[in-house]
Amino acid sequence: MASSSSSGITFKLHPLVIVNISDHYTRLKAQTLHSGESSSCAPPSNGGTAGSAPPAPPRVFGCVIGVQRGRTVEIFNSFELLFDSKTHTLDRAFLEKKQELYKKVFPTFYILGWYSTGSDVEEADMLIHRSLMDINENPIYVLLNPAIIHSQKDLPISIYETELHVIDGNPQLIFVKSSYNIETVEAERISVDHVAHLKPSDGGSAATQLAAHLTGIHSAIKMLNSRVRVLHQYLVAMQRGEIPLDNSLLRQVLSLLRRLPAIESEKFQDEFLMEFNDTLLMTYLAMFTNCTGTMNDVVEKFNIAYDRHSRRGGRTAFI
Amino acid sequence: MAAAMETVESLVAHIQALTKPEDVAQLHSLLKQSQSDEALRSQGPHLAPLLADLDPAKHSLGYLYLLDTYLYSSISREQVAAFLPSIARFLNTCSAYHIRFASDKFISVCRCFKDQVMRQQTPIQGIIPLRSAVQKLQNSSEQLTTLHSDFLLLCLLAKCYKPSLCILENDIFEAENPKDLFLFYYYGGMIYIGLKRFSKALECLHNVFTSPMANLNAIAIEAYKKYILVSLIHSGQVPPFPKYTSATAQRNLKNYAQAYLDLTTAYATGKHSEIEACIQQHIEKFQSDNNLGLVKQVLSSLSKRNIQRLTQTYLTLSLQDISNSVQLNGSKESELHVLHMIQDGEIHATINQKDGMVIFHEDPEEYKTCQMVNQMDLSIQRLMSLSKKLTAIDEHISCDPAYLTKIGRERTRYEFDDFDSVPPKYL
Repeated sequence: MASSSSSGITFKLHPLVIVNISDHYTRLKAQTLHSGESSSCAPPSNGGTAGSAPPAPPRVFGCVIGVQRGRTVEIFNSFELLFDSKTHTLDRAFLEKKQELYKKVFPTFYILGWYSTGSDVEEADMLIHRSLMDINENPIYVLLNPAIIHSQKDLPISIYETELHVIDGNPQLIFVKSSYNIETVEAERISVDHVAHLKPSDGGSAATQLAAHLTGIHSAIKMLNSRVRVLHQYLVAMQRGEIPLDNSLLRQVLSLLRRLPAIESEKFQDEFLMEFNDTLLMTYLAMFTNCTGTMNDVVEKFNIAYDRHSRRGGRTAFI
Repeated sequence: MAAAMETVESLVAHIQALTKPEDVAQLHSLLKQSQSDEALRSQGPHLAPLLADLDPAKHSLGYLYLLDTYLYSSISREQVAAFLPSIARFLNTCSAYHIRFASDKFISVCRCFKDQVMRQQTPIQGIIPLRSAVQKLQNSSEQLTTLHSDFLLLCLLAKCYKPSLCILENDIFEAENPKDLFLFYYYGGMIYIGLKRFSKALECLHNVFTSPMANLNAIAIEAYKKYILVSLIHSGQVPPFPKYTSATAQRNLKNYAQAYLDLTTAYATGKHSEIEACIQQHIEKFQSDNNLGLVKQVLSSLSKRNIQRLTQTYLTLSLQDISNSVQLNGSKESELHVLHMIQDGEIHATINQKDGMVIFHEDPEEYKTCQMVNQMDLSIQRLMSLSKKLTAIDEHISCDPAYLTKIGRERTRYEFDDFDSVPPKYL
């Protein structure tokens, strides 16, 4: 049903849309799971034997809005819609209300299409698609695949357009997949970065932030170190003749080496050493505090144990 | 007589034969046996030529026993004096492994050596041999032995402070005898005062009077008096007693140091005249304690402290103004003072001689050198090892029955039904 599109339209997707869809889906899934657990007595089992089948993950629906300039369609934002599963239609009044509200805030944005979740396009989707055709002649359908496949490296997002194809003598609308690019604005990049790092909820304190920052740097350096080591071993083996010479690889290594040292000026040395010393001083201070705390405990205990005239009825030391 | 001589000679033969490390234990038991045997002791005065036969490096243990018997037998002072070089040679070359078998004998030999050297009024002779003796006797650089205080005493008497630094710089974690500890830190404090390293002197003297003690002792009192003076010179005030000072010290020390506490209050006013009046008042007390030199240094430190206070208020100041506010006589003297302070690193300033102005600077250390990195790395390593030791001590004390008994008693008062932290057998 889906083949590659030939309309020549380039799609630009903003990460906000992806985050919105995934958030909508996760919320709904959490809600149904929660209500499903409280109502059913048997826990949901995977791959159903006798017993209740796991509740099917709900499909979410919503609208995507953005700007179309010539042959470029840029999808900026999205919002959720109510889906009436009996009539298989979207709630029209709600959609129009929402559209009006969004028009006030973003006057340049149009409704470009709609989104949903699932692994592949379904028959029922065509109905929804046709119903949106009166708002936009050529709506687009953004599909998010919520199943987590670890081997798959690409984003599980596909954008479909409709084309009029002649099949069996009847002109029919079918979905065709289109390629898209991800487009980010600075602000979006920062927020996505933030979400990706998943800092702890009370990570406002400087200590946890510093620890997280240093941990990140540490793991990055560790990875770099292991990779350099692998290269080194490879080169040594090549030198000894255990592995046949590979000139292209050697050229790549040479170009890498030519890029070092990156900066060698005195100003860099000063800045670098100052930052290094700052971190060392912080470690020193932390150790000092730690040591002083231990010392305090030792002194308290010693006073209690051995001093004949220690304070009576005062606070006792914590064992 | 001849039989006794024979046993001694056979003993010497044994000593020369049993030189391998495995035989040392055997040799030791043999020597102990002969010690109780009267024969050896009666031959005491005649042992000198036999000692010449033995090599102190290889036959250290035997040499030690014979030497000890010789020195404590009835020989005259001149003989001991004549023997001093051999003793020195022995102390320098003996093997540490051997002498640890008979450490008390070693200590008594060293004691005799020290007494003799002091009697001869040439303490400087004894410094190097005693230092090697100390290094050989201690099991690790963190252990304090009886010899430490003797060694420091010799250094003090000879006014030769440099050799003692390598011993003083080690942190002490084990001590057997409290008196050794007190004496060691007291002498150590005095050596640092002589070297004008007042912060280290404060540390040492501090250790003396904050050590746990059941009864007050004279060393702690003297140390406390010096501590007051040195802390006035170094930081301008005397800090209160820390938490870990024993209750005896806290209650009684101040009674013996009244003159010094008066000096502290006079110093706090910051006026030369007050301090001089106070010194005049208590001058015999200071003199009898041999502290008059330190007291004079306290007086001169007052002007230094006033100049340092000026750096916090002014960016530039004329020399005349400095001499006015610090009560010195004239700009020449204040220039001299400021110059000395800049050289000692106590303040950061430049003197402009043309118009007689002094410009005060900030600390130019910017912490961006590799040496600073190394320095901090060393400090962090030291702290880490100290922290490990402290945690070990903490755990040790938590399991101490004395501590548990006291804790258990206080806990029962609060009647925690469900939380019994101390097993009843300790109550």
